[in-house]
Amino acid sequence: MAERIILEETSNKTVFREGNVIVKEYIPSHPKENAFNEAYIHACVEACGLSIPKILSVAPSGGGWALSIEYVEGETLEQLIQEHPGNVEEYLEKLVEIQLEVGSYRVPQLRNTITKMDQVINSLTEVSASTRYELRQRLHGMKRHSKLCHGDFVPSNVIIREDGSYCVIDWAHATSGNAGADAAITYLRFCLEGREWADQYLHIFCEKADMAIQYVQKWMPIVAAAQLAKHKADEKELLTRWISVAEYQ
Amino acid sequence: MKNDTAGRSASPAKVTTVKELEKKLAVMRKAQAVFAEYSQEQVDRIFYEAAMAANKARIPLAKMAVEETGMGVVEDKVIKNHFAAEYIYNAYRSTKTCGVIDEDPVAGVRKLAEPIGLIAAVIPTTNPTSTAIFKTLICLKTRNAIILSPHPRAKASTIEAARIVYEAAVKAGAPRDIIGWIDEPSLDMTNLVMRDSDCILATGGPGMVHAAYSSGKPALGVGAGNVPAIIDSSADVRMAVNSIIHSKTFDNGMICASEQSVTVLSDVYDEAKKEFEARGCYFLSEKETRKVGRTILINGSLNARIVGQKAADIARMAGVEVPERTKVLIGEVTSTKISEPFAHEKLSPVLAMYRADTFEKALDIAESLVMDGGPGHTASLFIDPAEKEKILAHAERMKTCRIVINMPSSHGGIGDLYNFKLTPSLTLGCGSWGGNSISHNVGVMDLLNIKTVVERRENMLWLRVPEKVYFKRGCMPVALDELGTVMHKKRCFIVTDSFLYKNGYVKPIEEKLDQMGIQHTCFYDVTPDPTLQCAKEGLKQMVSFEPDVIIALGGGSPMDAGKIMWVMYEHPDVNFEDMAMDFMDIRKRIYVYPEMGKKAYFVAIPTSAGTGSEVTPFAIITDAETGTKWPLADYELMPDMAIVDADNMMNQPKGLTSASGIDVMTHALEAYVSVMATDMTDGIALKATKLVFDYLPSAYENGAKDPIAREHMALAATLAGEAFANAFLGVNHSMAHKLGAYHHIPHGVANALLLTYVMRYNANPVPVKMGTFPQYQYPHALERYCEVARYNGVSGKSDEEVFDRLIEKLEDLKKKIGIPASIQEWGVKEEDFLATLDEMTENAFNDQCTGANPRYPLMSEIRQLYLLAYYGKDTREAGKI
Repeated sequence: MAERIILEETSNKTVFREGNVIVKEYIPSHPKENAFNEAYIHACVEACGLSIPKILSVAPSGGGWALSIEYVEGETLEQLIQEHPGNVEEYLEKLVEIQLEVGSYRVPQLRNTITKMDQVINSLTEVSASTRYELRQRLHGMKRHSKLCHGDFVPSNVIIREDGSYCVIDWAHATSGNAGADAAITYLRFCLEGREWADQYLHIFCEKADMAIQYVQKWMPIVAAAQLAKHKADEKELLTRWISVAEYQ
Repeated sequence: MKNDTAGRSASPAKVTTVKELEKKLAVMRKAQAVFAEYSQEQVDRIFYEAAMAANKARIPLAKMAVEETGMGVVEDKVIKNHFAAEYIYNAYRSTKTCGVIDEDPVAGVRKLAEPIGLIAAVIPTTNPTSTAIFKTLICLKTRNAIILSPHPRAKASTIEAARIVYEAAVKAGAPRDIIGWIDEPSLDMTNLVMRDSDCILATGGPGMVHAAYSSGKPALGVGAGNVPAIIDSSADVRMAVNSIIHSKTFDNGMICASEQSVTVLSDVYDEAKKEFEARGCYFLSEKETRKVGRTILINGSLNARIVGQKAADIARMAGVEVPERTKVLIGEVTSTKISEPFAHEKLSPVLAMYRADTFEKALDIAESLVMDGGPGHTASLFIDPAEKEKILAHAERMKTCRIVINMPSSHGGIGDLYNFKLTPSLTLGCGSWGGNSISHNVGVMDLLNIKTVVERRENMLWLRVPEKVYFKRGCMPVALDELGTVMHKKRCFIVTDSFLYKNGYVKPIEEKLDQMGIQHTCFYDVTPDPTLQCAKEGLKQMVSFEPDVIIALGGGSPMDAGKIMWVMYEHPDVNFEDMAMDFMDIRKRIYVYPEMGKKAYFVAIPTSAGTGSEVTPFAIITDAETGTKWPLADYELMPDMAIVDADNMMNQPKGLTSASGIDVMTHALEAYVSVMATDMTDGIALKATKLVFDYLPSAYENGAKDPIAREHMALAATLAGEAFANAFLGVNHSMAHKLGAYHHIPHGVANALLLTYVMRYNANPVPVKMGTFPQYQYPHALERYCEVARYNGVSGKSDEEVFDRLIEKLEDLKKKIGIPASIQEWGVKEEDFLATLDEMTENAFNDQCTGANPRYPLMSEIRQLYLLAYYGKDTREAGKI
């Protein structure tokens, strides 16, 4: 049996590599249905033809459930950015190009972005009923699209193989919906992480997607509210500020 | 539900869940059904009491709204509440909204107003009480039920306003539950209310408006504004600046019609700036402008914390120190791009100020701000009212539904405060630019279904004949005398054909003109089926001769050519294509004919008893280059004088007498059964038929030897012309026009070959389709033909028998004057006929004459008629079509 190399440990899962397999092992309290749902989402995306690693199994492991996924050789865009900080613009362009390509796929089996966000926001306890009302009203005013959205499209989830081809990993949050929302999530992640090139990303995205920046901005209070549901104390201040916007009337 | 004390209280059941809401809506619908039966008087009583109650509560409601939402200014909200109660009541106090609201008995139009039913009203946080008062009042006035969906942040004050109106309404006699509200608002309930209502009054941001329009119910939604003001060089700067301050500080800038920017022309910029400063506004430094800018927007969206706040508080949030009493924070900026925070709608006393070197530049700035921020809403201009051109240029450029001149736009946009013709309203339509279905200020008329009841009316009819119709054998010289002695004409242009010219027909006219000293010339090259080219040739001579009178002498061709030359002479720029455009009703045609007679008086003298062109407003001209026939019809083409002198007709050849004689009969018969036939034309047409029956055979047989017959036929032609000049013709002529054109058959003969078939066809009492004209009430061509028959002495046991005998009489006439029995017999080859049949059919259907036919013919029917007439089949076959 191959050596187990731990790649990441978070409060609810451990990710490790065993030879050519990546295992995502959730803690026992992680709902079974979530593990299977993640596997289902992954399988659906896999079937659409996009270059992603194959999911191999969902199995009991360590008292909880674990997903086994193919290991992909290569470096993540995150690693590349860290290694070559002078080439950030080039990597951001690559990131956006891949994000737009992902968005060109259709996976109708996935939940719609709006439906998912609506559920998340509606069950938020961190904000007042009035704010939830306004955020949901804003959300309901969005047009329903059906682009494949990764939901956490950050450089660490994009692997570039040696031949230059790419592979997108971690599909747990994927939905079918609006590219603007997906870009807003990426932008929010950058802002939360204090990346100085967050605005640069946004401009590259809007330019390449031929999308008005206001459209992505319209999603920002919504994705911020959804992020608030993850209950991360250090993010609260920024997210609360992002949410505190008024609809014109 | 609270306990009723002695059944007095009207406290309604609370709505906090979807289930309770569904129950509420059901109860409200029942209440509305009762309310829908109320009289205008009852409704006006309720409207009055409700407005009074709202008005009385304006101060506590204003206080409550400010306290609950933490936005705005109590004293300004008092004004808004006052406006919503008093101005709305005043605007509609005597407006009829129940039952018959408008009536015109002469025209036969009556308008009835009915309620729409259950209205869903979404109420914003910025104006919670005034909007609630406004919407409930206009619903009461229109007998609608209204359910309010308050914003959670303003629910207590919204509900209180609605409750006050509701209780007063019920006390004044309104059904219980006619006004309702959601006590614990949620988006799901708001959506349910919108989905289950009959119409939505959605005041709110783009999200709400979108939700309203997506609900599948008609919505009166309104959107965001980004009102740009311009201060022109010609403006009263002091008034302008103070108007803007007044408007911008009103309720701390929360009215959507409030100015968001001011663009000042360079030459008055400093003056305006000084005035702003002198009146307590604060000009931010460049650095401060950036700081405030960052506070205004968060990720491109408006910071909720600044909405409806005081200027000093907003400055403080941005880390800028300003005097506490500062009225408005002004940032001097240049960019109108969305990246400039000051270019956005700010819903607070923060204003962008732009400088423009020219008025045109100021328009560019304003236009760009409107298009990026608030298309469709409102634009403002301060200017000298005498600058009409600039005001119009501004209005043309702004894609906004309200353009307010020299007034505070917050007050100006809601109407009736600074201009008394703009409907007072708190719901302002933004047109398609703002994604709305309406572009006006919403009022009671938007909440009514108007039923228009129209009674059948008949068209005004007419009888138009030339000013002068002179007739009697030998009358021509007498009639012509008038040209000299009465009218003092100087120059006469005669139009005729070469046959008539060479045979001396023009001579008596020339002699008469010479006698009177009237100069004359003659154009005698008119060909049969006159062409445009020929008319143009004549026109050339006419133009150089400059006549003040034109005499057209001849059969149809010279008279038609004369009319065309007359038109071109009077109006050299006319377009034949436009003039020849087919019409359904001559009075409603698109093209208006130019006025005739300014240059020349038109005299028509027929030399054959046929076309009646001397008294008709018709002329046909053919473009020889394209082969296109232009049939022109308009009363402007009516000759001024017709001289019907049988002496000009004595030597008509037999063939012409026959063809033109039977044409007269066809004119008279078609005019008599036309859908446009009237008592005025009937008498004329009947007399014409009788003259033809009685005198055509002898005129044909004996020619000049029977001058009496000639004279009667001359009059018959003119009478028939007068009849069809007013009642028009029918499908017989439509078909004859094409048959004649395709197979070179003289017009009269073509008519005759079809006549009895078309009559049988028209007489069918069960036609597939009847003609459309208000006075043509049911298919009655058979009865009409029988009237003609009986007038001509035909009798029988039944209409059918009388009609059969009329047909026989016509067949007999045709035989007597040498008309062949069929088209085939006339000499048209079968293969030629069949090859053109479909094209002829379609063109005949499309002929201008078709419209007045008592049967609206199908093309297949026309085709069948052609075939029957071609082979000379039994005419009864046509009666079965």
